Amino acid sequence: MAVAIAAARVWRLNRGLSQAALLLLRQPGARGLARSHPPRQQQQFSSLDDKPQFPGASAEFIDKLEFIQPNVISGIPIYRVMDRQGQIINPSEDPHLPKEKVLKLYKSMTLLNTMDRILYESQRQGRISFYMTNYGEEGTHVGSAAALDNTDLVFGQYREAGVLMYRDYPLELFMAQCYGNISDLGKGRQMPVHYGCKERHFVTISSPLATQIPQAVGAAYAAKRANANRVVICYFGEGAASEGDAHAGFNFAATLECPIIFFCRNNGYAISTPTSEQYRGDGIAARGPGYGIMSIRVDGNDVFAVYNATKEARRRAVAENQPFLIEAMTYRIGHHSTSDDSSAYRSVDEVNYWDKQDHPISRLRHYLLSQGWWDEKQEKAWRKQSRRKVMEAFEQAERKPKPNPNLLFSDVYQEMPAQLRKQQESLARHLQTYGEHYPLDHFDK
Amino acid sequence: MNLFQSVTSALDNSLAKDPTAVIFGEDVAFGGVFRCTVGLRDKYGKDRVFNTPLCEQGIVGFGIGIAVTGATAIAEIQFADYIFPAFDQIVNEAAKYRYRSGDLFNCGSLTIRSPWGCVGHGALYHSQSPEAFFAHCPGIKVVIPRSPFQAKGLLLSCIEDKNPCIFFEPKILYRAAAEEVPIEPYNIPLSQAEVIQEGSDVTLVAWGTQVHVIREVASMAKEKLGVSCEVIDLRTIIPWDVDTICKSVIKTGRLLISHEAPLTGGFASEISSTVQEECFLNLEAPISRVCGYDTPFPHIFEPFYIPDKWKCYDALRKMINY
Repeated sequence: MAVAIAAARVWRLNRGLSQAALLLLRQPGARGLARSHPPRQQQQFSSLDDKPQFPGASAEFIDKLEFIQPNVISGIPIYRVMDRQGQIINPSEDPHLPKEKVLKLYKSMTLLNTMDRILYESQRQGRISFYMTNYGEEGTHVGSAAALDNTDLVFGQYREAGVLMYRDYPLELFMAQCYGNISDLGKGRQMPVHYGCKERHFVTISSPLATQIPQAVGAAYAAKRANANRVVICYFGEGAASEGDAHAGFNFAATLECPIIFFCRNNGYAISTPTSEQYRGDGIAARGPGYGIMSIRVDGNDVFAVYNATKEARRRAVAENQPFLIEAMTYRIGHHSTSDDSSAYRSVDEVNYWDKQDHPISRLRHYLLSQGWWDEKQEKAWRKQSRRKVMEAFEQAERKPKPNPNLLFSDVYQEMPAQLRKQQESLARHLQTYGEHYPLDHFDK
Repeated sequence: MNLFQSVTSALDNSLAKDPTAVIFGEDVAFGGVFRCTVGLRDKYGKDRVFNTPLCEQGIVGFGIGIAVTGATAIAEIQFADYIFPAFDQIVNEAAKYRYRSGDLFNCGSLTIRSPWGCVGHGALYHSQSPEAFFAHCPGIKVVIPRSPFQAKGLLLSCIEDKNPCIFFEPKILYRAAAEEVPIEPYNIPLSQAEVIQEGSDVTLVAWGTQVHVIREVASMAKEKLGVSCEVIDLRTIIPWDVDTICKSVIKTGRLLISHEAPLTGGFASEISSTVQEECFLNLEAPISRVCGYDTPFPHIFEPFYIPDKWKCYDALRKMINY
């Protein structure tokens, strides 16, 4: 018995896992025979055994002084379905998605990529004030979005536009938000890429990082109470995971038993800060077991791996009312934003490697080609068509006026307070006299 | 009922009427450190009245998320002194949710309740009145009751209000104050100050516990100086009832505002600034602010720190003789 325990401990340490993680991994995994982690029971006091009685932990005594060594050399393994050339490695893991669905995945990623190129350029030309691209991470967006129900609520950070793209958010509305024009559902209030869509259950993005994490947990709790059969998915980067709100969210999700998927895009950088300066443990997946959360690490550039993990996490989160943590490893090919030039902190060679050798779009394209579902001719036609669609939406967005300046004042509260109305009237009077000094021509009358 | 019982009653009414309503925070399950949630878990179930981990930013963030789905979230922050970890969630998120989304999303069904103000021995971290920090934040409402009857009506209004609200409960009044409070629900409107005593010579404005102090000062003024004071309970800090205060000052020509929170940047400065803009020519004397000193809230020195009736009386006397 002692030998078995010792052996288990050695295996566990080599795997870089805590005892809690071992408990969680031991439960039959992806094919869903596991029960949820039971709540901690208090020990009965009647026993004469020399067993620990502490309410705070369920564990055995040990009489040897030993610190658990965190293992970051052999971290949690990375689940993948396709190799870098888009070939299925283990056929039993192939989700066998129908052709239409795989084409939708592909077209969503490529349309997003095309839109990113054009809108990034438009910022360089001074047409919009700011932009953030999604280069290299498109697989994390569509792979996860495809595994969800359309009504599952999405809380994002800012680099998840592909989720909206997959849910058929029109190009016109992406552009409207970036231009802050009269068609923007957000009424021109926020910087570009701060999308939101009530119809598509995508909560409006906000700039402060990780604030969405405990909010997503609350939404999941409400969904559980409402018996909504809905999961909430919460996206964030590996940098945002350092925020206190991330810790708060994970702990609440576990203790309050919420049906939520925490989806971390680990893309190697938080602006210029590499992961070696962001954390010292085994990434974000290794934190999950510390909270009592089922966790997995996946190849984020493998759309099928992302899909499979999200699909299973969704099924179990809803069925068992417990959180799941997916850490999707990927790479941020683009700059952090139009305000960043990443050549200041990383080599062009490093970026090129990912662009050329391990890109979610090319990997899926290889899969499509090998299935006979795509060819060069279709590729060319689609590139032309998607570019045309984007350009059309772009030109239209440029031409539209901005919303009426009165919209500066509404929605602060549900009803406008008297004092704010006075301020609104004061601006109106000011513009009557000084209007020539303001860009009124571009705004709706 | 006393004040904590009137809070329990309001919460009871809310959970009875609104099946989506939930109450959460540290230690609320057993009844709360001030007994405000006693009996509610047994009555409504552990999925509706529950403890959270010890994390204010989590409590408020979680509450926002519940409210985003349209359910009613009633969060408790154990002491207003500990609300600061949640400041980002309140100011950057809750307050701005509706505006930044173009009204696609909101967290209007969130209410945060928190014990507030001096208690005799609370010192730095069990006595604070942080309303001024939140007054500077468009998008939230901040409400402070002076009594059990006011507390229930105002809390119910906060819970039903379609904007995120912070409800500060004067902890020194939890047991001390007792009056007739209806068991059935009733509402007291937000953003409406109450003239609790009419007068002609001086306007006295306060909120929470301090309303009782200035009411006593009004009696002293009548007795010793023959001065007639108009006493106003502001009730809602933001959006605040400018019209009622200004109407009173136009009548009396003199204004004294008093709060426990430190003088500099305290909410009295906002009232003072607005009143001098709106009522400049009506003023007979500079507006007087009687507040806590610009120090952290001390322990042993509390009797010297607080803006008690003698300090208010003295300021009033100087205003009359200006």
